Amino acid sequence: MNLTLLLANLVLALAVAPLLNGVIKKSKAGWQNRCGPGVLQPWFDIWKYLGRESVVSEHASWLFRLAPYVYFGAHLAAAGMVPMVLVGSPLAGMGDVIVLVGLLALARFALALAALDTASNFGGMGTSRELAFASLVEPALFLALFSLAIPVGSTALGALVGDGGVTVARLLALGVFFIVAVAETGRIPVDNPDTHLELTMAHEGMLLEYSGRPLGLLLWGTHIKQLVILSLLAALFFPWGIASDPSAASLAVGMLTYLAKLGLLGLALALVETTNVKMRIFRVPDLLGAASLLGLLAITSIYVVGG
Amino acid sequence: MIVVEEVRNELFAGLRHAVGEAALRRESGREVSITVPVDRLADACAFVKGNLAAPLATMVGLDDREQAGVFRLVYVFSVDGKWVSVETEIDPARPRFPSATPRVPAAHWYEREVQDMLGLIPDGHPDPRRLVLHDDWPEGVYPLRKDFDPTVPVPRVDGPRHRFHHLHGEGIVEIPVGPIHAGVIEPGHFRFAAVGEVVLHLETRLFYTHRGIEKLAEGKRFDRVLQIAERVCGACSLSHAVAYCQAVEAIAGVVVPPRAAALRSFFLELERLYNHVGDLGNICAGVGFAVGTSQGGRLKEEIQRLNERLTGHRFLRGVCRVGGVRRDLDAVHLRDAAQTLQKVEAEFRRFVDLLLATDSLMDRMIGTGAVPFEAARDLGAVGVAARASGLDRDARRDHPYAGYDQLHINVPVRTEGDVRARAQVRMDESFASFALASEVLRSLPSGPLFTEVGDLPPYRIGIGVTESPRGENVHWVRTGPAGSIDRYRIRSASYCNWPIVALAVPGNMVPDFPLINKSFELCYSCLDR
Repeated sequence: MNLTLLLANLVLALAVAPLLNGVIKKSKAGWQNRCGPGVLQPWFDIWKYLGRESVVSEHASWLFRLAPYVYFGAHLAAAGMVPMVLVGSPLAGMGDVIVLVGLLALARFALALAALDTASNFGGMGTSRELAFASLVEPALFLALFSLAIPVGSTALGALVGDGGVTVARLLALGVFFIVAVAETGRIPVDNPDTHLELTMAHEGMLLEYSGRPLGLLLWGTHIKQLVILSLLAALFFPWGIASDPSAASLAVGMLTYLAKLGLLGLALALVETTNVKMRIFRVPDLLGAASLLGLLAITSIYVVGG
Repeated sequence: MIVVEEVRNELFAGLRHAVGEAALRRESGREVSITVPVDRLADACAFVKGNLAAPLATMVGLDDREQAGVFRLVYVFSVDGKWVSVETEIDPARPRFPSATPRVPAAHWYEREVQDMLGLIPDGHPDPRRLVLHDDWPEGVYPLRKDFDPTVPVPRVDGPRHRFHHLHGEGIVEIPVGPIHAGVIEPGHFRFAAVGEVVLHLETRLFYTHRGIEKLAEGKRFDRVLQIAERVCGACSLSHAVAYCQAVEAIAGVVVPPRAAALRSFFLELERLYNHVGDLGNICAGVGFAVGTSQGGRLKEEIQRLNERLTGHRFLRGVCRVGGVRRDLDAVHLRDAAQTLQKVEAEFRRFVDLLLATDSLMDRMIGTGAVPFEAARDLGAVGVAARASGLDRDARRDHPYAGYDQLHINVPVRTEGDVRARAQVRMDESFASFALASEVLRSLPSGPLFTEVGDLPPYRIGIGVTESPRGENVHWVRTGPAGSIDRYRIRSASYCNWPIVALAVPGNMVPDFPLINKSFELCYSCLDR
């Protein structure tokens, strides 16, 4: 039973993640007066890359070849842990939110090493920016997660899934999560996923040396990461409809509400990207610092206002 | 004419003082030409530039060994709407000349180009590296000499590498970018020296796709060369065509009929509009503001479609001919143009309001890529880049051509010199262009479309200038025998402004470079003649 659930969960993540990116791209295009590519385009892109040969720099070491698999695997494992349709996710027993954040960090670490490995300038620039952002994102994320964990006395993912109730701490944590989601998915105003300007890239700069199948895996992994973060956001703050037991009826309801919530969150990201301009790189720490501050306030409010 | 007379008298008195009696003079119409001995060249140039506050308009090197047994250099300055040329002759046995660059900084690229293309060495040039030719071009082969045969392939050699300036110190990283870029853009190599995200120094290496256009024009009939002139670049095709036609018309002594002159102005304003509107959109692309990019692109498309309906060509090629224009506007065209422009102007106004009201966009633009007035003046900035840094120059007003002497030209000038200033100059100029275009449409004179151009007198010089969307284009033409072109020098606006980009970047952050670059929106093609 558990294995079936796990497989179903992974297939769902693998299938929905590119589609979610397609929906975001399509809605951005609509708001920008363009037709834009179809929502299935990320799928076609991945399919195309997976079938292509990879060109590897002669200066690259085994790290460069290994990193895409670590990156993809870590995100896939995270997708198995995060509650999507069902509160008790198949890998929930394997670890809590700290492990989840650790998996994201592992993926980032692997990609950063690989980007530095070829000694290309853009890889180095992208890495330094991505890691600088990450060092500010992770504390904010932890503070927000702890503000949810303290009232329930557990860091287990299933325990953190809320009841939809509104408290000061939850509202503040939601603010943190939204900023973190924008930063972690590499979106405007922090980073720009659609740019061809090498000098402005953070996450994309780390992928520049990749081609063919490893690039396909990295793109797929990035889509899954986006799915993980939005799923976590949905489960923790908008738990309505999520299945609490694996019966067919509640799974069906959970599935429908899950997809609807993902779509809405995707639209929210697209809206932020459409109405904003990428900010000066030196101002990003201000935004992420504000997120940390919100997280700190969320924890404080638990003691001041009461859970 | 009295002003010109005074200028001339002052010029010659001063020159006699500076250079001695050796200065020869030749005057014709709107042009004054002074020939000085080669060792006094730098003095004469410095005098004209300094005392008359005259910007260097262009510089031409000629291979006159067949006719006169010499190489010739012509420095053309713009004085009060007139051209003052300082000429010198160089003995082929000793192909060197004193560089004017230390005293006339704007001459820096011209002198390097003459060194590459004609093998004339500027003594005392502060940066005598190759400019146009690249590492694989053999030493001692000079493409613009008359004895160079362009039909014979030149062997590629493994020459010495270009010497970039390196900065040394702890934490300084060199970031080479290009010439091949991730986007579909023309080739250019940019080398940043940066500490962290802050740029200390930027060096550019351009001229990757030199096409030999000036060589191609040599010996061709003047009307064939027009087709070449139109293809120097896509974005300001008509500006190049009109500048060339004016140079030839000046030689032929032909006056363009009033209707043709007005139509030239009208189409030139359409060219300015579609460029400015599109460039404003492109500036947004530099900061990832996709709404601005797509709206700018959409409005540009509207104007280009109007171009196609009016002239049959989106880039306005084939509109101009020597002596006038090829395309007329009938009543249907006039109504279409008036309606389309009115509609686009209204939408453009909303677009501009959106840009100015987007705080996050303004935050990126204000103070970014500032060019000080002195740098713009000394390096001879032109066009939008000049006017955003407080340099009030616009060829439409300073050297009236086409129908511009009949029109009210409003030249917006700002002093901040940053990305926002360049964007706002474009916005203000676009509104002025909408007004100019409708002014022409309202008062379009009737009459013929062109004056027939007969035989061109041989070995005469003509200068044509237009204010393209990027700044002034100066075309210098000398005729050869039987209506052919003997030497054709194209000095585009981008030629003057590329060195300014390298000055605007240091002190800014690395990811601001695309934004700064797009605020100049220079053309690679205009360099790769």
